[in-house]
Amino acid sequence: MATANMKDVKRRIKSVESTMQITKAMQLVASSKLRRAKERALAAQPFFETLYDTMSDISNDPAFKSVYTKKKLLRSTLIVVIAGDRGLAGGFNSNVLKLAVSHAEELKASGDKVSVIAIGKKAVEFFEKRGYDVISAYPQVAENMDIYDAEDISEEIIQKFRSAYFDQVDLVYTTFVSALSQTPVAVSVLPVKDLGNGRKHSSLTEYDPSPEEVFDSLVPQYLTGLIYAAVVDSFASEQAARRTAMESASDNAEEMINGLSLLYNRARQAMITQELTEISSASLNDSQ
Amino acid sequence: MQSFKLKIVTPRSVFYEGEAVQVIAKTQAGNIGILAGHTPYVAPLVPSPLRISENGTDFRTAAVSTGVIKAEKDRVTVVAGAVEWAEDIDVARAERSKERAERELAAKKGDKEFERAEQRLKRALNRLSVSGKL
Repeated sequence: MATANMKDVKRRIKSVESTMQITKAMQLVASSKLRRAKERALAAQPFFETLYDTMSDISNDPAFKSVYTKKKLLRSTLIVVIAGDRGLAGGFNSNVLKLAVSHAEELKASGDKVSVIAIGKKAVEFFEKRGYDVISAYPQVAENMDIYDAEDISEEIIQKFRSAYFDQVDLVYTTFVSALSQTPVAVSVLPVKDLGNGRKHSSLTEYDPSPEEVFDSLVPQYLTGLIYAAVVDSFASEQAARRTAMESASDNAEEMINGLSLLYNRARQAMITQELTEISSASLNDSQ
Repeated sequence: MQSFKLKIVTPRSVFYEGEAVQVIAKTQAGNIGILAGHTPYVAPLVPSPLRISENGTDFRTAAVSTGVIKAEKDRVTVVAGAVEWAEDIDVARAERSKERAERELAAKKGDKEFERAEQRLKRALNRLSVSGKL
């Protein structure tokens, strides 16, 4: 009996070891991808600040008006949900999707029509399965997101916004807080509000051709930048989440291997002891 | 000649940061040249070549996609979706995206698709013309 048990334990140790190799490898891949994603997220910062500053400068003008700042009239909201393309990242996908659903349900409860643009394979699958009105799906763009991809998405949103398919656009994605903590957030993107710093003044700046037109041409770019940054941010979060998940998986595997090795050694020792007892009692019997 | 601080930012990076003497850009109304001491000015840019001079005589050319140019007291900021030096342009990619846009235009889909394809074609043509391959 002892020998059969030992064989089993040995087999389990082997299988846990090979799993650990995979989780270790995934952990390493995630760390290196995380580093790159963090750099990309950081590089997008100055772009935003400049655009945001310019927009808030314009909106400080007292006479300023734009289609992108008008109040909500229709009751129709678009939610742009960004999740990952792959699983095995701890709670990353389920957390952000959970938030998106509760956000959508909240809007529905208050009488809004909700449509969805899903970015990332997991988000696409999730919302299509649940019968949401998915107006477009962008699976597998996150890793190699470039500004043109973001532009395609933002152009689509802007066109539908301008032709009044919806009059509110919210973005749900995961923001990277630290390597250990990523929080899903829902932010309102359109209509543009809370831009000005409160001081209403006419500036001396010359807007060519007019402040409104400059502003309106900035909004699509701003949205493009927002989407780009959110996707990059979400990708960094995904990698961080995956790294943490794989790290704890590797730790667990190691713990299991330790436990199993102990078991194996015990069984081996027991067998040896038993054999010794058998031999010595046999020899005792012989000498009598 | 007097110089000013020029900064070009894209979502990808700060593309350029340094002293310049003149920058020539194309707005919806046409080409504008900005020298040091320009009045505060903001205008959207159309996909076009952006020319920068650091010494007043030689110009470096870069392709910009849609963006905005902003002149303040002693500095000029260009914000654009994408900027590339003429010599760095991936001609093959631009060709591909031009062909794709042309195909889409020929397919005569709805107004929106048409407009999007047209925008894409403009960007592609701009990149090709800046790189001198047109």
